[in-house]
Amino acid sequence: MTTTEAIDPVFMFILGSCLVLLIGITAAMVLFVVRYHRSRAPEPTSQVDGSLWLEVVWTAFPTLLVLGMFYYGWSSYLTLRDVPPNALQVTAVGRMWSWNFLYQNGKNSPKLYVPVGKPVQVALESKDVLHGFYVPAFRVKRDVVPGMKNHVWFVAPKPGSYDIFCSQYCGTSHSAMIATIEAVPAEQFEAWLKETKATGAQHPALALLEKHGCLGCHSLDGSQKVGPTFQGIWGRKTDVKTAGKEHEIVVDEAYLKRSIVEPNADVVEHFPPVMPAFAGVLTEEEIRLIIDYFKTSAGGAKLDGAKLAREKGCLACHSLDGSKGVGPSFKAIFGTKVKVVRNGKPEMATVDETYLKESILKPSAAVVDGFPPVMPVEDDLSPDEVSALVQFIKELK
Amino acid sequence: MSSAESRQPVAEGFWGDTGKTGLGSWIFSTDHKRIGLLYLYSVTGFFLVGVILGLLIRIELMAPGKTIVDAQTYNALFTVHGVVMIFLFIIPGIPASFGNLVMPIQIGARDVAFPRLNLFSWWLYAIGALVVLTSLFTGGGAPDTGWTFYVPFSARTGTNVSLAVFGVFILGFSSILTGVNFVTTIHRLRADGMNWGRLPLFTWSLYATAWVQILATPIIAITLVLVIAERVLGAGLFDPGRGGDPIMFQHLFWIYSHPAVYIMILPAMGVISDIIPVFSRKPIFGYKMIAASSIGIAAAGSLVWGHHMYTSGMSDTAIMVFSFLTFIVAIPSAIKVFNWVSTLYKGSISLEAPMLFALSFVLLFSIGGLSGLILGAAATDIHVHDTHFVVGHFHYVMFGGTGFAFFAAAHYWLPKFFGRRYKEKPAIVGWAFMFVGFNVLYWTMQVLGMHGMPRRYYDYLPEFAPLNFVATVGSWILATGLVIVLVNLVKGLKSGEPVGENPWGGATLEWQIATPPPTENFEGDPVVTHGPYDFKGVVKP
Repeated sequence: MTTTEAIDPVFMFILGSCLVLLIGITAAMVLFVVRYHRSRAPEPTSQVDGSLWLEVVWTAFPTLLVLGMFYYGWSSYLTLRDVPPNALQVTAVGRMWSWNFLYQNGKNSPKLYVPVGKPVQVALESKDVLHGFYVPAFRVKRDVVPGMKNHVWFVAPKPGSYDIFCSQYCGTSHSAMIATIEAVPAEQFEAWLKETKATGAQHPALALLEKHGCLGCHSLDGSQKVGPTFQGIWGRKTDVKTAGKEHEIVVDEAYLKRSIVEPNADVVEHFPPVMPAFAGVLTEEEIRLIIDYFKTSAGGAKLDGAKLAREKGCLACHSLDGSKGVGPSFKAIFGTKVKVVRNGKPEMATVDETYLKESILKPSAAVVDGFPPVMPVEDDLSPDEVSALVQFIKELK
Repeated sequence: MSSAESRQPVAEGFWGDTGKTGLGSWIFSTDHKRIGLLYLYSVTGFFLVGVILGLLIRIELMAPGKTIVDAQTYNALFTVHGVVMIFLFIIPGIPASFGNLVMPIQIGARDVAFPRLNLFSWWLYAIGALVVLTSLFTGGGAPDTGWTFYVPFSARTGTNVSLAVFGVFILGFSSILTGVNFVTTIHRLRADGMNWGRLPLFTWSLYATAWVQILATPIIAITLVLVIAERVLGAGLFDPGRGGDPIMFQHLFWIYSHPAVYIMILPAMGVISDIIPVFSRKPIFGYKMIAASSIGIAAAGSLVWGHHMYTSGMSDTAIMVFSFLTFIVAIPSAIKVFNWVSTLYKGSISLEAPMLFALSFVLLFSIGGLSGLILGAAATDIHVHDTHFVVGHFHYVMFGGTGFAFFAAAHYWLPKFFGRRYKEKPAIVGWAFMFVGFNVLYWTMQVLGMHGMPRRYYDYLPEFAPLNFVATVGSWILATGLVIVLVNLVKGLKSGEPVGENPWGGATLEWQIATPPPTENFEGDPVVTHGPYDFKGVVKP
């Protein structure tokens, strides 16, 4: 049963009952007003001021009716909560003011692609304030609450696009926080889901890193975890402690190999010596594959600023085509002079790297004249990500 | 009556019998009637401000995309519309204005129990209102959080939320003190023979309301202080990153704000229960059931706040309990409607302005109440929650209900206090415009919500455009009716025909004294010998 099929009969039942009651009340009122209008009834023909029998009837009847509505409404609501066991798992990340959908294989997308006819469970995650995940076509809605695990599920019965609205008010561009569900046939969906792997993001070493839990402590995106990040690790200069003595090294093949096989021999400064040794767990061939990966993808590959700008929701307010949104357009903004308000005073600023960095990290410090001071602070961006965004904006002509 | 006669000044009553005139004789007066009028003028003023903001919202929504204002201004518009209408108009609306004017007379008292506290309550209202207004034009600009002030957004927006919230905090005290005053007055100052079974139903409804004001309002006061603590001190009470909980704010907010719905609607039900018998010349049907259902609504209504939060992530057990209790509250409301309609049966019905407003109240309130059943059921609420359906629903209850009752009360009672009356025809024409415009506007909103248009949306998809246009046209018809009604009322009360003691043939005490009433209402102490709807001895108008 789809969610729509579970909910709509309840609508029919309650709406129908309400309509009958409303027509009954209105008809009685109109009838009495016409029949007993003072022009026809100069004197009241009754002074009855109550009837126990009637009071009992019209207390009991609505009680039974509303208890019926309660039970029907409640039992059908349970369908919305009862996720079918084989549901596809997706995470919806809401932020001011855009959606991003994460799939279990690491793929992410601004559109929610789903296979037709297969139940989908959407875990809801908020990066900032309350949002609401609402799909009118499927009659599902759930608030997206920071720090709380919420979910919805639905099944798209037919191929096509379905609107996702943000239903919980979240600030300036609340009404622009719209995304779509693209329901496609299962084979097409599988193909779409695998697409990412083909474009190179999925290096065979990545599966190894995942399988052995490396990514639990070492991030790929520059963020700080228990161990140093893998991002840009190749060739990095870093201070390590060897037998209690500090010295600087450059990350190379020999260092990486030793760190995997004998992790506590050289421990990077400010990190605890807690990594288990992988000698005998990983084969020589596997270690070579991982080092090869660090050499190329994780280390060499630059962060994609355009992708970041979309994923982090920048483009919800800043256009790429020069049109005015909630914030100034990114198009050809680099190098221009803009009037900003800083500490309540207007001044001229040149859009250079320093200015862009400041605007990303402390958006309210200098606000461009004519725009509202509503940009959220992105405190989960790594320095490398900020640089990538600045580089992306710089190159937009 | 000739026009020469109608220009004669009417008897002075409380307007002049103390010999004091000027602004000071009003804003420092402890006479419940003067304080009632101070409230009436203030709440009507803010009602008009709210109406203008509402009309601007509708013009913006007339077409997709930008129509007259940008998104940030729109968000401030609906926030201020909500704050002004709820905290400055509807909550004090009927109880503080008509309650003050009429209730002490209805029970045969010379004034309320604490006249100076009553004046202080109005001053708190005035100061609170001033603080709220100041917040619109200072600091980071008008609040943009919606009247619900939901965290975390309200904790991080740069607009002037702290000051607005502080203003509402002060308004809360005004409401609590009025509640304390009314409960004491009704318990202690009833005249000889005015036993609980002879209390007019308007007074009964104020009694139930006053208890809700006393018990529920402190909770919003505390909650709002916590929001300020969150903003100014970074207390982290509602921030999950620091062990807080944003859902807890919603519970605290609605523990007050749902009972507040009954603060708004119960006095309106009381007005209707007083008007329908008079214009049917027949005792109210089921007096005891109506009085008891007011108390029932006040009690059960205090336990249903969670029905605002079915989608919040609250537990399913909580949803089940709140849904069940919500349906229980529907029962006393239904009982009232059936009793009102039965009062009409075999009466002698006169369709004058107060009665037209009262009968349309019954219809509009029924629509609002019935659409509330869709929101009370867990399965159906999920789809329409936070959509225009909810906006349409609560306007049916708040405006179609309380708003229409406010105008019923104004047409019914104000001639008594001004000594002059409005013209009947324009009142009826104005009412007709309001009734038609109202339904075009809010019925359409409910349909839009069914189709999935979320609320608080500055912009919308093209498929919602035709119905939004219709709703906006409805708002213009409604506004036209409002202008006709208000102009006619003001003109009539200033210079209309004089009215006698009992223009409608009412049986409650306010119709047995001079028009306008003297400062201490009664000459000597009244003794009550019959019920409030016993029309046998009443001279027909």
